[in-house]
Amino acid sequence: MDNQTITKTLFFNASREVVWAFLTDKNKLGTWFHPADRNLREGQDYALMGKADDGSPKKMCWGTVIQMEPPSKLVQSFTVGPLSGAMTTVTWNLEQAGDGTRLTLEHSGFAEIAAPFGLLMALDKGWDAHFASLRTRVSEA
Amino acid sequence: MFHETGRDGLTDMMTPSTVEETQGAFRALADPTRRAILMHLSARDMTIGEVTEHFSITRAAVKKHLTILEEGQLISVQASGRERINHLEPLGLKSVSDWINHFNQFWDERLLDLQRAVEDHERINNG
Repeated sequence: MDNQTITKTLFFNASREVVWAFLTDKNKLGTWFHPADRNLREGQDYALMGKADDGSPKKMCWGTVIQMEPPSKLVQSFTVGPLSGAMTTVTWNLEQAGDGTRLTLEHSGFAEIAAPFGLLMALDKGWDAHFASLRTRVSEA
Repeated sequence: MFHETGRDGLTDMMTPSTVEETQGAFRALADPTRRAILMHLSARDMTIGEVTEHFSITRAAVKKHLTILEEGQLISVQASGRERINHLEPLGLKSVSDWINHFNQFWDERLLDLQRAVEDHERINNG
């Protein structure tokens, strides 16, 4: 089971089409995140652009648009600079809720990156002790 | 300074040293060979030669992978005579779970901005 997925849900007093535009239009993305290098298209790479310290353009987040079902579902691979190219998956679901929209974000792929550790734990009982001390250290940090 | 990345709420919450450690851990984990090396080291400590026996790549290539794992603080290396003993460091894991926490907060902040942006848009369009 993947207990390392981040899930967020929120409501908008706006149609799904409007919310969809804010997730996929290069300029509208810039009003709440970073502007994209181009509008998001299924199967295409995307990059959200910011500025480096010297003012030059810099990719802040990037990946590939895996699936697009306007205005209900968007799946994209997603990484940020500090992840050094390790890809995670972001899934957006848009459902009609009354006159508005219920938006659910799922960010997964952490478990995959950390999967070896789950396996290691299963293989070695000694890990119980390691993790007890890990938890202690983390809570002390 | 993290003026621009700080807007993401990702980098500014971490001290520079934490960011470096985390980068290293993710870089180390991104590669299947390095994950396999970690699996072998979970059984016992190994020399470079012993690790190499499990793979069809050169000793030099294994050594490179071990260096990256060491930089990611997922293993430690101790000299024993002429040998270098590689030891798994489970505390390196901390940085991975940290990332989940950071992304959790990251999305809270981004989604709040998204909500504001959509509200502004609706206000302008509806009157």
